[in-house]
Amino acid sequence: MSFLDLRSLTKRFGDISAVEDFSLSVAKGEFVSLLGPSGCGKTTTLQMIAGFINPTSGSMILNGKNLAAIPARARGLGIVFQTYALFPHMTVAENVGFGLEMRKVPKAERKRRVAEALDLVHLSHLTDRHPQAMSGGQRQRVALGRALVIQPELLLLDEPLSNLDAKLRDEMRLELRRIHKEAGVTTLLVTHDQDEAMALSDRVAVMRQGRLEQVDTPFEAYEGPRSTFISGFLGKTNTLRGDLLETTESGSRFRREGLILDGPVAHHIPGPVEVCLRPERIDLVEADEALVSGIVSERIFLGNQWLFRVDTPLGELMICRRNRGRREAEPGETVHLSWKPEHLRILPVEVQG
Amino acid sequence: MRRNGAFALVFNGIFALFMVAPLVVVIGVAFTPEGYLEFPPSGLSFRWFQAILDNPDFIEAAWISLELGVVSATLATAFAVPAALAIGRGRFAGREGMQALFLSPLTVPTVVLGIAFLRFLSLFDINGTFVGLVLCHAIIITPFILRLVLASVAGLDRSLEKAAISLGASDWTVFRRVTLPLILPGVVGGWVLAFITSFDELTVTVFIVNPSTTTLPVRLFSHITQTTDPLVASISTVVILFTVLLMVVLDRLYGLDRLLMGEGAR
Repeated sequence: MSFLDLRSLTKRFGDISAVEDFSLSVAKGEFVSLLGPSGCGKTTTLQMIAGFINPTSGSMILNGKNLAAIPARARGLGIVFQTYALFPHMTVAENVGFGLEMRKVPKAERKRRVAEALDLVHLSHLTDRHPQAMSGGQRQRVALGRALVIQPELLLLDEPLSNLDAKLRDEMRLELRRIHKEAGVTTLLVTHDQDEAMALSDRVAVMRQGRLEQVDTPFEAYEGPRSTFISGFLGKTNTLRGDLLETTESGSRFRREGLILDGPVAHHIPGPVEVCLRPERIDLVEADEALVSGIVSERIFLGNQWLFRVDTPLGELMICRRNRGRREAEPGETVHLSWKPEHLRILPVEVQG
Repeated sequence: MRRNGAFALVFNGIFALFMVAPLVVVIGVAFTPEGYLEFPPSGLSFRWFQAILDNPDFIEAAWISLELGVVSATLATAFAVPAALAIGRGRFAGREGMQALFLSPLTVPTVVLGIAFLRFLSLFDINGTFVGLVLCHAIIITPFILRLVLASVAGLDRSLEKAAISLGASDWTVFRRVTLPLILPGVVGGWVLAFITSFDELTVTVFIVNPSTTTLPVRLFSHITQTTDPLVASISTVVILFTVLLMVVLDRLYGLDRLLMGEGAR
């Protein structure tokens, strides 16, 4: 029996369907991300769980309770908003203590629990500050402390890191992991940032146009995307359209632009398919070992890695190489490419929606 | 901070002088020892300030104006705050119409309003009563409060209220603990503007007072239609002093720029 059970959750605004037939089960203590581009319905889903939007249909069960029957203020969920939503006229301690005050927790206990919560988010030294006098990262911590102090059964995080600059974001990501581990609270994170989702979550739920496309561990979702959309959304990918010629027990054969490539075992009917190939799986090799050769059209240096665009008979391929401090191919140079057949991911042709 | 150029300084100086000049004249006239409006005063005398004490009907009128201002500004605030919350955040049919209606006392000529109120209050047989005055003033000053509160509401992050709800606050608690404190500068600023407008109102009031509810502006007006002695100047000076004191207190409490300009001056 799962802890949080969302079943066939649907929200329509007039004719527009924001969330359609969304089902997801989350285990106690699990960290799950709802990942998708903006407008995919992830925030609407969160708002329905929080109680700020009423679902058109479907059910939400949390720890055996029917959430739909409970008003938002009685659901007891911890929510961290994108803008943090700290009360500007209250100090840090008053912000964090607000939920306890609403629960009529006696003053002495309230004080103790606020101190504990601030300790958890490493803010004990700023108890009497006002939020305006704090940095983005500190506000984030206050918001987390305020959400956690009421000991919620479920913690909802709405794009919590999107307002922070890149360096702070990486730092807060680690902090979120630590806090989640220490508090042990079941957490649902809404984000459009794939790195964030993969770094933080036990499982990633990728949404697209109001529907759930795939729920998997970050590794499985990255390695085994169920659609070219997911493959392109979780990290970079080369997508090649072509024809699946045959599939056998040991592999498959695929044709594009007159070239025939070996692929992994596939369970698709021969015909038009799409093939995804991660840029980091392509090796640069000697001419005699190459599957295909091409001319470098663009080269981008990213510090820890190089990114190449190579014009090949298969089409333009993106290649990613770790920076080893050596000279790398320059634009205009011919390079020879190779990869293992199992690194091709054969997927059905995407129906344009 | 950018400094003003010479031209801007001169321009701003002249403009400030233009605004302050009438007040300087009135205050100057109030200190004259003579029996007529004289400026500059030929001497310094408190004669006309003493004369205020000899005219209890002015003092009574001032009390009526004060009470009228406080009661009608409070009544209008109690009405305008929920209206501003609904208009500023609601998505309902007739929202724009509602806003136009509540702001309309600003655009309808006050003489027209005065005649309309006169007829309307007579229908209910409360013409000339304090209650009648309060109701009419509340209508006239509502737009001032509404506009300032609307500006505050527009700057309100709705997720603050959602956060409060998620932490277990009831609707009333959310309003009392989160919404109201955050829009308070707009509410207080609106109340002050409304109070001043009511205290100062003549055109409409003159239609609907009777001798027992005569306000200070009406009393002053009827006084100068009969005589022109410096008594009106000394009373005006006291009112100016009172207003300045009020402004100083408000500035200390909330910051005037924040109250009267709404958002942005934080």
